[in-house]
Amino acid sequence: MDLLAQILVNGILLGGLYAIMALGLALVWGVLNIVNLAHGAFIMLGAYVSWHLYTYAGIDPFLGLPITVVVMFVLGYIIQRGLLNLIVRAPMFNTLLITFGLEVVLTYLAQLAFSADFRTINPSYAGNSFQLGPVVLPLARLLAFAVAIILTVAMWLFLLHTRLGRAIRATAQNLVAARLYGVEPRHLYAMTFAIGVGLAGAAGGLYGTVSQINPYIGAALTAKSFAISIIGGLDNPLGVIVGGLFLGIIESLTAAYIGPTFADVASFGVLVLVLIVRPSGLLGRTA
Amino acid sequence: MKSLQLIVVFAALIVLAAVPWFGSDVLIQFGINALLLAVLAQGWNIIGGYTGYASFGNSVFYGLGSYGVGIAMVQWELPFWAGLVFGVVLAVVFAVLLGIPVLRLRGHYFAIATLALAQVMAAIVSNVKLAGQNVGLVLPPLNDDRLFYELSLGLLVIATLTVFWLTRSRFGFGLIAIRENEEGAAVMGVNTTLYKVLAFSLSGIFSSLAGGIHAYWVTFIDPESAFDISLNVKMIIMAVFGGPGTVLGPIVGALSLSAISEFLSSEITSIAGLFFGIVVVAAVVLMPRGLADMFRRIPKTRWHYFAENIRAHRL
Repeated sequence: MDLLAQILVNGILLGGLYAIMALGLALVWGVLNIVNLAHGAFIMLGAYVSWHLYTYAGIDPFLGLPITVVVMFVLGYIIQRGLLNLIVRAPMFNTLLITFGLEVVLTYLAQLAFSADFRTINPSYAGNSFQLGPVVLPLARLLAFAVAIILTVAMWLFLLHTRLGRAIRATAQNLVAARLYGVEPRHLYAMTFAIGVGLAGAAGGLYGTVSQINPYIGAALTAKSFAISIIGGLDNPLGVIVGGLFLGIIESLTAAYIGPTFADVASFGVLVLVLIVRPSGLLGRTA
Repeated sequence: MKSLQLIVVFAALIVLAAVPWFGSDVLIQFGINALLLAVLAQGWNIIGGYTGYASFGNSVFYGLGSYGVGIAMVQWELPFWAGLVFGVVLAVVFAVLLGIPVLRLRGHYFAIATLALAQVMAAIVSNVKLAGQNVGLVLPPLNDDRLFYELSLGLLVIATLTVFWLTRSRFGFGLIAIRENEEGAAVMGVNTTLYKVLAFSLSGIFSSLAGGIHAYWVTFIDPESAFDISLNVKMIIMAVFGGPGTVLGPIVGALSLSAISEFLSSEITSIAGLFFGIVVVAAVVLMPRGLADMFRRIPKTRWHYFAENIRAHRL
């Protein structure tokens, strides 16, 4: 029983991080209709930004997170404005290909710049943990979980209540109508993509505090982000929290009771099942 | 004009077939790899180019083909051709069983579901005892690169003839109708589920045969390399670079990209992959309909061709 409780807590803590990983992907997908295959690479870059801030400037990874987000935000804006806006109206397949090409480019650049070595962001408190009854709560994971959930909820409020958030939602519903109401699509698309990449950066910074990073982690993270977006649906940022927690718990249960190699099988198996049974997501509107 | 094209194709085929008799070992080995990739691109062309279903799961067929040959030759001590047949059977079973539910999905959802299937296959196979688990299988060696080269070339010719047949058969028209407008095709009496599953199986058969030949050639298979996901992306890029939904496009794409990447990795090893990514990005922006379309239209439009493509797709 204690073991089960610990496994569930581990899954929930992992799930919070998964939620913020998927949030940027779901936003860009839902609004721009671009499935960003480079999303995982952006997470990886965000992790490296945090790692550099921590290693060379001594900035705490959690306090330095805003810097990481801003750096990634700017990168995202430039990429959408300068490159992806050129092909937004091309068939969906071309957008998949171009973001894949971006993924390759970013991964190789990261490998050239940062080497292929594994890195970890290890602040002094990384080993600390709380004891809560029979369950151990590692401090870094708990912090990462809390920040991830706060950011996701903040994103939800932002989309609901700010001018830019409303413009983004309007564009997702109907680009032509949004244009008539004065939305400048080139700028808005770039802002949306920039927010998505900024969120990926935040996810990367958090990921770096709980796991090892190297230039090649991107592809697997993209795949997971997909799974979470699909499970949660694209309609609502809170959906990714559900999707993330769901996947986190399933993975830690499978890893504990069936075997660690099956964790990915379980998560992608669930993805395929959800796709077949409810293509708009567990929480999404029925099509 | 038509007969001129035919002569060019035949001449190219004869030159290709003669390569093992005048080329160096390195060239032959490069040729086997490039031809097998061309088969994969051509196989993808059937489901992705003609039917319009962007499969990111064709690497599964390739892996099943590899393991079909591996299991048949190592575990059951059957001849090579029996292994190829076994691999094809596995691929068709997979295409039918998983194709029926997955081919109901459209667009991104289909792409992602197939990608997810490709992700889990390596993990599943590494737990199957018959397949040697995660250690893999070592096949009996056969040092005859000429044979493997001609086999690969023969397979490519068959795949290409099949695609050529698609362009002038009722079945092929049905697939194109599905790509252009699936509801419309169904209304016109195309049995869309049957057609899609058949196209998926056909695509799988060629990928599986390519995997089988490759497995016997390299004499070693393990789950990671047999079910390598990046292979999907490679075949898709090659097909799209050359021109998806055309007969010769995927071959041109596969051979030219293989040559570029081979040249780069021998000249400037570290940034070969980087360059590959840049080529993909530039190709999508500047020539989204592939080399085939570019060669057809560039004599008339000159460099305006690239500007027109950007103008057509930008925001």
